[in-house]
Amino acid sequence: MRHVGPGRVVHACGLLLVVVVALFPFYWMVASSLKQQTDLLASPPVWLFTPTLANYADIFADSHVMVAVLNSLLVASCTTALAVLIGTPAAYALARFEFRGKADLWFWFISNRFISPIVLALPVYLLARQVGLLNTRLVLILIDLTFNLPIVIWICTDQFRSIPPDIEQSARLEGADQFNIFWRIYLPLGLPGVAVSAIFAFIFSWNELLYSLVLITSQALKTAPVVATNFMSGYELPWGKIMATGTVIVLPVTIFALIVSRHMVRGLTMGATK
Amino acid sequence: MSFLQLDHVSKHFGGLTVVDGVSLSADKGEFVVFVGPSGCGKSTLLRMIAGLEEISAGDVSIDGRVVTGVAPADRNVSMVFQSYALYPHMSVRENIAFGLKMAKTPKDQIETRIADAARILQIETLLDRKPRQLSGGQRQRVAIGRAIVRNPKLFLFDEPLSNLDAELRTQMRVEIAKLHRELGATMVYVTHDQIEAMTLADRIVVLRAGRVEQIGTPTELYDTPSSIFVAGFIGSPKMNFLAATITGQDSNGLRVGHPAFAGGEIHVRPTTNRPAPVGSAVTVGLRPEHLTLGGADPLLTLTVDFAENLGGATQLYATGPGGAAVVLMVPGRPPVTPGEVLAASLGAGQIHLFDGSGAAL
Repeated sequence: MRHVGPGRVVHACGLLLVVVVALFPFYWMVASSLKQQTDLLASPPVWLFTPTLANYADIFADSHVMVAVLNSLLVASCTTALAVLIGTPAAYALARFEFRGKADLWFWFISNRFISPIVLALPVYLLARQVGLLNTRLVLILIDLTFNLPIVIWICTDQFRSIPPDIEQSARLEGADQFNIFWRIYLPLGLPGVAVSAIFAFIFSWNELLYSLVLITSQALKTAPVVATNFMSGYELPWGKIMATGTVIVLPVTIFALIVSRHMVRGLTMGATK
Repeated sequence: MSFLQLDHVSKHFGGLTVVDGVSLSADKGEFVVFVGPSGCGKSTLLRMIAGLEEISAGDVSIDGRVVTGVAPADRNVSMVFQSYALYPHMSVRENIAFGLKMAKTPKDQIETRIADAARILQIETLLDRKPRQLSGGQRQRVAIGRAIVRNPKLFLFDEPLSNLDAELRTQMRVEIAKLHRELGATMVYVTHDQIEAMTLADRIVVLRAGRVEQIGTPTELYDTPSSIFVAGFIGSPKMNFLAATITGQDSNGLRVGHPAFAGGEIHVRPTTNRPAPVGSAVTVGLRPEHLTLGGADPLLTLTVDFAENLGGATQLYATGPGGAAVVLMVPGRPPVTPGEVLAASLGAGQIHLFDGSGAAL
């Protein structure tokens, strides 16, 4: 039998702590969504309770939640599609071509993520009002695209850089033009990176709250995270409903992430070793 | 006019000159090998012919047409890369068909050409596999298949065998030679392996620091190297060099002195008209395989350091007075022991002589 040293025990305890800290809020959200209001407000907290689906029944009866989930789906899907459509050719150019201003462009993409979104909230609101885009799904897609495009470009550029240049040169010698090299060589070979960046874009767009809150006031256009916060109004705090809505919002993305996690790890580690 | 012509071709990277005014030509159907140490510019030169590297100065012509500014795809050349450069996500069949598809070749023709190439290279059973399912040798065949299927005017090989093990390398070398004979195509082949160069080439171009050191048939380079660099590069084991001095001149040629020579000096007939004043420093070159043990007229007196038994031959490492370190390649297994003093004479070939600048005398 292998000897278990104290170092390994400390390591395991550390890992366990990280897992507990990471997963506990998630557990608490799901558990709370299955509790009745009395169990929810009990102090000290109730660990053993009779689960109820009443909160879910309530939120699904409320058409706002379903509409909001569909809005989120639409915005996140469009953002992801556009980010990949625009980001991958940009990444290819950054990975393989030398042009003036390349370093500045690259820095601009990175610096996009330096800025806290809240700093830009007011200017973006004024701008959107000026061009008549307030209360449209388009404005959310555009703003999500602004923040997600750099992620797609970063990840894909790195992925494309790991493709040996010999392969491109061979294709060039065989008569492939720039588009064919991108379409037939780079895109299929960079698929893990493209998939990872698409997943990130989708998740970020799906979870985006601040701009949805600022730019959308029409109930019919609100996204899922906004609707979840809408329950916090008046004198009542219906924790059960909030948690059930939260679970409904998080679940699809979590399932999606679990399914593609193997791909994600491959994509993130690709290019790390030659 | 030559089929492939390079006219004062240069390549600069910033302030660094990688290829410096190279001029050479190759006839149709000729197998030309560029050989030289790492960093001599041989691969860059090949890539300039392919169009993958911009030419800083000079011109490249293929089949009578200047292609200096022509895109790689329009030069009608095929290249086999050191890394094979197969498309990993495509099957062998798709890999071979890629160039033909790009050229919008009719489907039935693509199929015929793939079948022909697969038959020549004996890869018929591999057509539906992905590159990762192939061994190094099989990948190399696919890379060659991809090159021949397009019927190019010129084949370029960039160190195609350097990723293979010794046995496979020998096998593929023979196959490339066969392929050249079968296709009768013009081929330019880059290698740092002088054995590949000697066995494959019709003509060898020896490159050094971006310049052509010598161009000639393998036999010419072996028998009459123009410089000490070429003499040391061509031939295995490497030629022995002894730093000697011209001691005089008579009707038998130049008298060259070194303490390791039996009698202190030897006669060498120069092959060029370069000046060799008495007292000047020269280098004497002796091929290991040209030296024999004993003999009526010994050339060197040496002390054996150790012997390597190669089976059919023995490689002897010996030293002589005046810092001479000499390798001898002798047939069979002569009974020599380390520390033994022996005489060596010239069995075949000739004594090479180089002046202070390294040029052959």
